[in-house]
Amino acid sequence: MSSHASLFALGPALYLAATGLLVLVLDSVGRTTRLPFALGSAVFGVAAVGAAAVAAFTGGTLLGLGVGAHAFAAMNAFLVAFLVYLVDPSGSNRLLVASVAVAGAVFSLGNAAYYLAYFGTTSDAQAALLFGDQLVVDQMSLLFMAIAASVTALVALASYDYLEGHAYQAEYYALVLLAATGMSLMAAANSLATVFVAMELASLPSFALVAFLKKNRGSVEAGLKYFLIGALSSSFFAYGISLVYATTGSLQLEAVASALSGGTEFVGMLGIGMLMLVGGFAYKTASVPFHFWAPEAYEGAPAPISAFISSASKAAGFVIAFRVFTVAFTPAGLFASLGIDWVLVFQILAVVTMTLGNFAAATQENVKRMLAYSSIGHAGYVLIGLASLGGVASQGDTVLGASMMHLFVYGFMNTGAFLFIALVEYWGVGRTFEDYAGLGRKAPVACAAMTVFLFSLAGLPVGAGFLSKYVLFFGAVSAGFWWLAAVGAINSALSLYYYTRVVKAMWVEEPNGELELQGRPTGLYAAVVAAAVVTVLLLPGFFPIAETAIEAANAVLPNAGDTTTAFFG
Amino acid sequence: MAVPAEYYLVLSAGLFCIGLAGILTRKNALMFLMSVELMLNAANINFVAFSLYWGNLTGQTFALFTMALAAAEVAIGIGIILVLYRNFGDVDVTDAVGMRW
Repeated sequence: MSSHASLFALGPALYLAATGLLVLVLDSVGRTTRLPFALGSAVFGVAAVGAAAVAAFTGGTLLGLGVGAHAFAAMNAFLVAFLVYLVDPSGSNRLLVASVAVAGAVFSLGNAAYYLAYFGTTSDAQAALLFGDQLVVDQMSLLFMAIAASVTALVALASYDYLEGHAYQAEYYALVLLAATGMSLMAAANSLATVFVAMELASLPSFALVAFLKKNRGSVEAGLKYFLIGALSSSFFAYGISLVYATTGSLQLEAVASALSGGTEFVGMLGIGMLMLVGGFAYKTASVPFHFWAPEAYEGAPAPISAFISSASKAAGFVIAFRVFTVAFTPAGLFASLGIDWVLVFQILAVVTMTLGNFAAATQENVKRMLAYSSIGHAGYVLIGLASLGGVASQGDTVLGASMMHLFVYGFMNTGAFLFIALVEYWGVGRTFEDYAGLGRKAPVACAAMTVFLFSLAGLPVGAGFLSKYVLFFGAVSAGFWWLAAVGAINSALSLYYYTRVVKAMWVEEPNGELELQGRPTGLYAAVVAAAVVTVLLLPGFFPIAETAIEAANAVLPNAGDTTTAFFG
Repeated sequence: MAVPAEYYLVLSAGLFCIGLAGILTRKNALMFLMSVELMLNAANINFVAFSLYWGNLTGQTFALFTMALAAAEVAIGIGIILVLYRNFGDVDVTDAVGMRW
C-alpha cells in the first residue's frame, strides 16, 4: 500500500487541517452531546485497538490497514474522546481551543522537522510524488511547511490573549489552521492546478481573518481591500494558467517544462500568461505591482493576523514562485531566447519592490504601517533569489537557497515584531512612534525582544537576519549581479534608519504622559520571547538551516524530472 | 466544422477585458464581484476550448475547480460586503478609505 505510505509525507499539512477541524468540533460540543460524543470516540478507539490486535495476530492487515495504522487511529480516537471530555459546554473553552491549535501547529512543525532530518541524514532520499505528480514533498516543501507551522504556532499562542472577550474564537483558530494548511499545500504543489487550489485555500480564510473585528471599521476596510485585490489577482492568475495550458496542453510543472523544451510557436500567449502568473505571485508575496493591499490589510487587521499574513503567507507565495519558475519555466536562458526574459522581470520587480518598500517605510508615522512597508521591502530582498538565476549557473543554488533562509528567519523575526505590536495594542498604547516613547522602562523584556527583531530585520548581527541577508547579497554578487546586491545593501542601510526610530522611542525618549500597562498577557509574552530566542539562536545555529536551504534549492534547480517516488517506500 | 482555437482566445480575451473594465469603473462592491466572475469565466473558456484542442481532459477538470473556487470566493466576498454595509451604510467600495493608499 504505497499510496497510504506516501500520504504520510503530507503529514505537516494534514496535522494542520485535522487540528482546524478538531477545533471546530470541540467548539460545537454542547451539553447533551458531550458525553455521547466522548463515549463514542472512546468506543471507536477500543475497536481500533481490537483491530490492531487482530491484525497483529493474523500477521497482516485488516480492512486494508496495517497494525500501525489501526494503532494510530486508536490513539487519535482516544485523544478526541479526552479533549471532548475536557470541554465545558457552558464556558467559552478559550484555553482548550487555543492549546489545541498551538499543539497542532507544533506537531506539524515537529513532523516537518523530522522529515527534514530524514532528508538531511539519508544520502539517497528522494522526493515523494503524490496524486499523479500533482503534489511533491521534497526539502523545499518541508522547509516552507516548517515556516508555515512555526508562524502558526506563534500566532495561535499570541492570539489567546489578543482575542480575550471576542466572540467566534474557535472559528478564528480553525480559519488560521486551514489557511496554514493551504500554505503547506502551496509548498507541496507541483502542478498549476494544485498551486491555484492551495493558493485559494490559503487566501479565503485570510480574507475572513483580516475582517475578523466585524465592528471595527479599520478591520472591515482592510478585509474589503484585501479581498478585492485578492479576487482580482486570483482571476489574473487563473487566466495566466489558462494561457500556459493553451500553450502547452498540461498543468503539471515538469510536463509544462518538457512541452516547452523545444520552444513554442505561441510565444505571445505564453508570455502574457507568464506575466499574469507573476502578477498572482506578486499579490501573494506583497511585491510590486500588486503590493498596495498590504499596508492597508496589515494596518487594519488584528495584529496576530498581520503577523500571520506577512510572514507565512508571503513565504508560501514565494515557494510557489520558486517552484513554478525553476521547474516549469526552465532553463531561464531558453525563455530569454524566446523573448520572455522572466529573470529580467524579477530583476526589475526586486529593485522596484525593495526601493519602494523601504522608502515608503521611512516616511511612516504609524509603527504597524511602517512594518507593513518594511515587509514589502523584504519581499524585494527575497526576489533577488529569482532575479539572480540567469547569471553564473553554479551559484544559482546559493542565492535561491539564501532566499529560503531569509524567509525562514523572517518567519520568526517579522512574526515577532508584529506580535509585539499585538502586545502594544493589547495594552492600549497608541500606534505612532511617539506613543512608544519610554515603553522600554515599563516592559523591558518585550522591548528587548522587539529590539532584537528590528535590528535583525535591518541586518545587524544581533539576530540571524544578518546572516541570511549576508548570504543573499554574497550569492547575488557571486552569481554576477553585484548591482542587485548593491541596491539591497543601500536599502538595508536606509531601513536601519526607520527601525532605529522605534528602538530610540522605546529606550531613549522620555514617556509623554502617564503610561499604565494593564493586564498580564502570558501567551503574547511567551510568543514574543520565543520568537526572539529563536531569532538569536539561529545566529549560531544558522548552518543546518543554510545547508538544508541550499540542498532544497539544488533539488529544484536542475530539471527536476529525475526525482521518483521512493520517499517512504 | 470545428471552430479555430484563435476564436476562443479572442472571445475569452474580450470577456476578460469586459470584467477588468467593470472592476476599474464600478464602485458597487457587488458589481465588482460580478466582474471578477466574468474574468474567471474567461479563463474557463480557455480551459474548455484548449481541452478540446489538446485532446486531454485536464482543462475541463480544472474549469470545474475554478467554478467551485469562484463560488467559495463569492461566499467570503458577500460576507465581507455585508459587514462593509453594516459599518459604512453602503456597499460603495470608495467609501472605505479610512486608511490612505
